[in-house]
Amino acid sequence: MLRFFRLDPITRKRLRRFRQIKRGWYALLILVFATFLSIFANYIANSRAIMVYYEGRLYFPTFTYYEMATFGQEDDWGFDDAETEYRRLREEFAGTSNWLLMPLIPWDPYENDFTYDTSPPHPPDSRHWLGTDSQGRDVLARLIYGFRISIFFALALTFVSQVIGTIIGCLQGYLAATFDILSQRFIEIWSSLPFLYVVILIGTLVTPSFTLLLIVMSLFAWVGITYYMRTETYREKAREYCLAARAMGASPLRIMFKHILPNALTPLVTLTPFQIVAAIFALTALDFLGYGLPAPTPSWGELIDQALQPANRGYLWLSLSPFVAITVTLTLVTLIGESVREAFDPRPYAKYR
Amino acid sequence: MQPRRPTAKSKALREEHERRRRIKQLAVLAVAFLAGAFLLLSANIARGAELPEDIQWETNMDDPPIGSPDAIRGGTFHTYLPSYPLTFRLHGPNSNDMFASWRRSVSLYLPLVLRHPTTDNYIPILATHWSVQDDTKTIYYRLNPEAHWSDGEPITADDYVFAFEFLQDPLIRDPFSNRYMEDYFESVDKIDDHTIRIVGKQESWRPLSDYSFSPLPRHAIELDEEWVERDNYEPPVVQGPYVISNWRTGERVEMSRIDEWWGDEQHYLQGTFNPDRIVVRVITDAERALDYFQRGQLSFLQVNVARMWATQLDIEPIRKGWAHRKQVFVETPQGLYGMIFNLERPMFQNKDFRKALQYLLDFETLNRELMHNAYYRIVSAFEGTPYQNPDLVPYGFDPRKAREHLQAAGFTQRGSDGILRNEQGQRARFTLIYPSQGLERHLTVIQNHFRRAGVDMRLQLMDGGAAFNRALERGFDAIMISMSAGFYPQPHQYFHSDFKGVAQNNNFWSYGSEHTDELIDTYRFSMDEEERLAAMHELDAIIQDDAIWIPFWMGPYVRFIYWDYVQWPDFYFHRRASALTDNLVFWIDPERKERLERARAEGRALEPDTEVEVDPYGVQEELERQARHAGADE
Repeated sequence: MLRFFRLDPITRKRLRRFRQIKRGWYALLILVFATFLSIFANYIANSRAIMVYYEGRLYFPTFTYYEMATFGQEDDWGFDDAETEYRRLREEFAGTSNWLLMPLIPWDPYENDFTYDTSPPHPPDSRHWLGTDSQGRDVLARLIYGFRISIFFALALTFVSQVIGTIIGCLQGYLAATFDILSQRFIEIWSSLPFLYVVILIGTLVTPSFTLLLIVMSLFAWVGITYYMRTETYREKAREYCLAARAMGASPLRIMFKHILPNALTPLVTLTPFQIVAAIFALTALDFLGYGLPAPTPSWGELIDQALQPANRGYLWLSLSPFVAITVTLTLVTLIGESVREAFDPRPYAKYR
Repeated sequence: MQPRRPTAKSKALREEHERRRRIKQLAVLAVAFLAGAFLLLSANIARGAELPEDIQWETNMDDPPIGSPDAIRGGTFHTYLPSYPLTFRLHGPNSNDMFASWRRSVSLYLPLVLRHPTTDNYIPILATHWSVQDDTKTIYYRLNPEAHWSDGEPITADDYVFAFEFLQDPLIRDPFSNRYMEDYFESVDKIDDHTIRIVGKQESWRPLSDYSFSPLPRHAIELDEEWVERDNYEPPVVQGPYVISNWRTGERVEMSRIDEWWGDEQHYLQGTFNPDRIVVRVITDAERALDYFQRGQLSFLQVNVARMWATQLDIEPIRKGWAHRKQVFVETPQGLYGMIFNLERPMFQNKDFRKALQYLLDFETLNRELMHNAYYRIVSAFEGTPYQNPDLVPYGFDPRKAREHLQAAGFTQRGSDGILRNEQGQRARFTLIYPSQGLERHLTVIQNHFRRAGVDMRLQLMDGGAAFNRALERGFDAIMISMSAGFYPQPHQYFHSDFKGVAQNNNFWSYGSEHTDELIDTYRFSMDEEERLAAMHELDAIIQDDAIWIPFWMGPYVRFIYWDYVQWPDFYFHRRASALTDNLVFWIDPERKERLERARAEGRALEPDTEVEVDPYGVQEELERQARHAGADE
């Protein structure tokens, strides 16, 4: 296993080349940083405080429910066991020895801010930096949480579909003959299923969840990989080193995954960024149509849907923010993808026309 | 063991046997047929398609005409539809689209008698007199001898008999009509050219509404296998004043008024159907309709979207007084619209829990923040009908009461997730199925309010058909339902315990008790209107107190903008009107049209009409009295 990860000189050279292509390298850094940050979204955009100091005790409410009575807060609805309102608490703490630390964006993506004189959506201001959506929810908070869901969904989907696609593609290429022919026919039929419709169909039967969507979309996403892995395996298995391995009595699985796979990785690596792009797109499209993750899950597709409602057409911030977010993310991923492809190109100085 | 193959002999025998049996069957059938025919004939002779001797004819000429005496005939009326009609037929496949229903109200579906759209009394249209027999299901109608089809042929009893047969014929490929005629009508007979008898299937206290239908031109319809395709875009012969005269597929349909329409002489039809020409343009996007209106290519525009009404009508024609805005309050039956609880689920068997949710719906905030204060709360299960209990007031938003009810329901402790639990550790959690993304805005706000009180409502969007099927199968905790309603409520199908615990019906709740069943039966079978009203009012109050659904909201008005040359009767339109075009009571004023065109050409402003809200029937006043619009004037 370890040997698999020990980098051979060619891979090392490719990595070096990738780092030299600045636009790809920086895009990767930015994206990784943003993804890392988004893990901590609950500390960035949240209506719960990060830390509360009350009567000599420290509280960390980010993932815990504290009722109002905990901090001596009173509810105008008469629910003292309701969740503490930390923004109000901050004002109530003013002038006492108690204090609390709010996240940078003191709004969670579900809250309706109905404290304005006009009805939502509200344009950007100091309270809501990117304005609010048509239900008075903070657009920036929804963008951040939407990014977290999109990117992790895309990563997970890419990983799962690559694992499945690689296994099946390698088997096809290596076993060839009947298995290849039958599975190819199956793939042809399978890939002609309109996957968006299938997802929508499933969405009408059960509430889609993150895992369910992941499973359903993986069912369709692995197909593309098999084509590449199959041809790569076909080519590699005819090489002498494979023959040698076989002559020495290596099992087919060992040959496939120890010998052939490392040499057939190029298409996999170069395809990854574009698969991520496709996955983000697919999730956004589903959310846009209303068949993605159930409301009120923050999502870019849902924001775009709001922006495109006839009644909301005048509200530029609604359409601009998800548009910019999607464009930036997809551009970053595409830059990475291009650079990877370039770095893996065996003829670095060739010009393609 | 192998089955024995039949020998030649036994085979012949069997064939012989078979032949005899067939002959026997045929003979039996023939006898039965003859006997049936004889019975039918004799029954017909015995019943006699003739009038009873002591027949009492009724009519009503005392109500005011439907239209206004000031109306001016003439001009062109420009309107639009969101899609090009799939057919010009009014029966058969695709004949239920908007164009068809719109045209039914302006050109074909003139009834024998009509409930006056303002006074609710019956008035004669195609019949001059009627006579309801004591069995409450046999009605004699005397037809108006003046009535003619649009091609000049008179409308006679034969056309009714024909329509009755036509609507039952499978060749029209309209199972709903087939079924409807079979379920409701026993027979339609010609007595003489201008007298018919209609017999319904069941007794009824509203026979004139139940047992009346429109004739079809026997001379102009040839019903066979090809009828559906052949008549698809064939302008039909109609009773009303408008015939389809011109069309351009996908773009527009034009209708013109026939010369000397018979209805012009009729008392009740005075001031109706005023324009000479109607141009129906296809505009697929409601937003673009506003652009067409601004260019003067639509005479008026109904504005259904609250946001458009509130924010997008600051347009030049209105600022300059060339066009006006009007919101006319009307009283139309409002079907069920709201969140329905499944009483088969243990959580919703607890009345306190249901009540708690009622008190948690903050309609005031929703209306203000999301709906431009444009809506009124529904309170009755029979909203907009005379059977609605006028004393009901909606459950207000009252979290303190909600909390009391939640505690009474056993939900006393909050878990670490902030959701209430009862002593068995069960969470106050349910899933709401909703069929339309448009509702999401409102539902997520309600969800937040519930959550703050410790109730976790999960949302599940479903395709409309699938969602409704869930409702019929009782496969839900709570579900959003929107139904349409007629003038007479149907409490039996919604609330009677006949349908409790059985799937595939409209008693979505599985609701009903002995007492409510009695009330419903009183409404269905009592011949005394006072008694029916009392029963329905009591039922309405019980349903509200049982808190089995959270009624949502309604817009009991027609909102529209119109050019200055369109003139309206002083009541605008009828109390029971649901659309601007019902009976076409408006008219086009040629002088004002000229004045407007001059003003537009010169860019000169006309005097603006500042009165936007009109309440000719006291509907708004009544709604305010019932506190249905809390917070509107803040």
